Amino acid sequence: MQKQNRWGYILTLPFTIHFIVFFAFPFIFSFYLTFTKWDMFNAPDWIGMGNWTKLLTDKPFWYAIRNAALFAAVFVPLQTIFALILAFFLNQAIRAKSFYRVIYFLPVVTPWLAGGTMWRWMMNKTYGLANYMLSLFDIPPVDWLDSKYWWLPITSVALVNVWKGVGSSMIILLAGIQSVSKELYEAAALDGATRWTLFWKIVFPIVSPMIFLVLILSTISSFQAFDVFLVMFSSPDIVSDQKLTPNILIYKDAFLTSKMGYASAMSWALFVLIISVTLVQKWFEKRWVHYE
Amino acid sequence: MKKGLLVLSASMLALSLAACSSGGEKPAESAKPGDASKSPEASKAPKQMTLKIGLPGSYDVTKKEIIDGFIAKNPNIKVELVEAPWGDFVKKIQTEIAGGTAPDIWFQENAVILGYGKRGVAEDLSGYIKKDLKQDEYISGLFAAQSSDGKVYGVPHGINPIALAYNKKMFTDAGVPLPTKDWTYQDMLDAAKKLSKDTNGDGKLDQYGFGASSSITVGWYPWTRSKGGQVLDETKSKAMFTDPKSLDGIKTWANLVKDGISPDADFYTAAGGDWKAFASGKVAMFFMQYSNSALINKDFPNLDYDTIEIPKGYDGKRLVPMVTNSWLIFSKAKADAKEAAWEFMKYYLSEEAQTVLAKSGAALPVNKKAMTQLDTNASPKNKKAYSDGIAEAGVTLDENPSWNEWRLAAQPIYSDIYAGKLTPEEGVKQLQEKVQKVLDDNK
Repeated sequence: MQKQNRWGYILTLPFTIHFIVFFAFPFIFSFYLTFTKWDMFNAPDWIGMGNWTKLLTDKPFWYAIRNAALFAAVFVPLQTIFALILAFFLNQAIRAKSFYRVIYFLPVVTPWLAGGTMWRWMMNKTYGLANYMLSLFDIPPVDWLDSKYWWLPITSVALVNVWKGVGSSMIILLAGIQSVSKELYEAAALDGATRWTLFWKIVFPIVSPMIFLVLILSTISSFQAFDVFLVMFSSPDIVSDQKLTPNILIYKDAFLTSKMGYASAMSWALFVLIISVTLVQKWFEKRWVHYE
Repeated sequence: MKKGLLVLSASMLALSLAACSSGGEKPAESAKPGDASKSPEASKAPKQMTLKIGLPGSYDVTKKEIIDGFIAKNPNIKVELVEAPWGDFVKKIQTEIAGGTAPDIWFQENAVILGYGKRGVAEDLSGYIKKDLKQDEYISGLFAAQSSDGKVYGVPHGINPIALAYNKKMFTDAGVPLPTKDWTYQDMLDAAKKLSKDTNGDGKLDQYGFGASSSITVGWYPWTRSKGGQVLDETKSKAMFTDPKSLDGIKTWANLVKDGISPDADFYTAAGGDWKAFASGKVAMFFMQYSNSALINKDFPNLDYDTIEIPKGYDGKRLVPMVTNSWLIFSKAKADAKEAAWEFMKYYLSEEAQTVLAKSGAALPVNKKAMTQLDTNASPKNKKAYSDGIAEAGVTLDENPSWNEWRLAAQPIYSDIYAGKLTPEEGVKQLQEKVQKVLDDNK
């Protein structure tokens, strides 16, 4: 008995060490850092609630939160709806079904640097393809990524993010749709159900747990979005306040201006925000998600 | 059964460890050990020392001959070089400082060195300088890294001032007289207007008289001060953007695109950068940093251009901004390494090494004798535009320990003003607020 236990401990040791070093310790240490001022060279300097009170009135941080909220509000519904529609159609008997599935999944595996740079050029105000298309209809060029209306660049990036992520959500939802058994379809057809009713009353309830999962995951990832903004906007050290997003701001303060304490406070604030949003979503869960 | 399970879990563990490490960090780019000299077996007097030198920009910015010369003269010092392109080096150095693994000596912008000094990252060199250097052999730029309390945190790697560069052919083709030392900003803009043309009749300008920039050294700093305004005050603790003279200078700069004299930011992106736009004949004049000449001469060897001092401001005063890169000694280096690092700095400031620097055209030396050795055969031939310029009117970009933070805070606002998204009036209010906040936070 003893010997078995010993081997158990030994073999799980790498995982335990990894967990402590890369998760548990940073988690606790960064919480400690939120009460300090640390330039990463000298020892951390305890300042109590200083960072937290600064957070409440710091304009760049609240601009970033506002932008993240808009980003989530545009990105999550669009991506989920598109993914659901695509999954539903790609589950039918169409020709070249696998070909379409591959095409829609390709953006997911495209590195952000490649895809993002290309989109960035397409949305360029003077030389971009998007404005060229508009000019064919005599519409004046729009500054997609650098407009003086703060919501336009965020929305543009959200659209690009939909393009990038719809494939993976589609795969998850497809798995869900495929679990709807054939007999249900046949029974419903016998009872005279239209395509629309079929979708809403049969498919949707069965797939709702998957949809719920996709919603939660994409909301969390949209608040955490970093690389998409890194590629589409200019370098993080010179991004204007109106276009900031939380992780870009945290990166800028932590690594470019060495304000680790304040950056940790912002990270924790973001964490609390994401948890709250997720809890709100979970509260609605019982009202519309159907479990067998 | 049990044995098989053991073997299986052990191999899974091995696989996952391998996967972990390959997905982990690549410390690669930095540690490319350069020349390491072998120490003589019978070492008598000189102590054996090791020295790790960081070289951002590699040999494009720091001449190999200088490094080799040092190694040859100091056989008892084992030199290890850490080279990386500038951007990569700067990104990594922060974490290396935090982790204590930074090189013993490296260089960065002087203002960053001042910030390091304040934090305690850079060693105070004032004692060494007093002991080993004859100060009258150097221009005042030697003390660029001196803080307000008298400590000196670095020695210059090279001075990089700006001057007005002009394309001789474009001027003669348009029949416009070449720039002179007595030009004012207004003379420059008048000439630029004559040189801005729509050469293919499509209604859009393809050739611009003056290539204004939205960056600090050749863009908003000189222009904000062009009408007598200031960016920071003399104590470097108060922002001066809302001063009417500063606002006036900014307004003129912001109108350059509207007035058809300068191209917009997208034009530069398509051309590949401001010096490329100049070198490919799309722009007739621009404020050029000294270090650009090496790049232009390499990629555009047939360009017929020259330089003249930055024009006098509207108030009659000339201002020649300069950027200095400075060497610093890492405060957490071992005592031996610090000594070796000072030996390197001494060598770098010696007439021999400074002459190599002068001839290379990468930056201006601080050694007075070496300054007479500038290569007047390579373009721009009138290099005195730079050396006389800083002798007459050299200014830094209002460097102080929080320079990096406040100038990064100001940059996006200036870019928005240049792009026409913010009016200058609204812009200076934001600049004043943001920059003053940084200055106050870092008192």
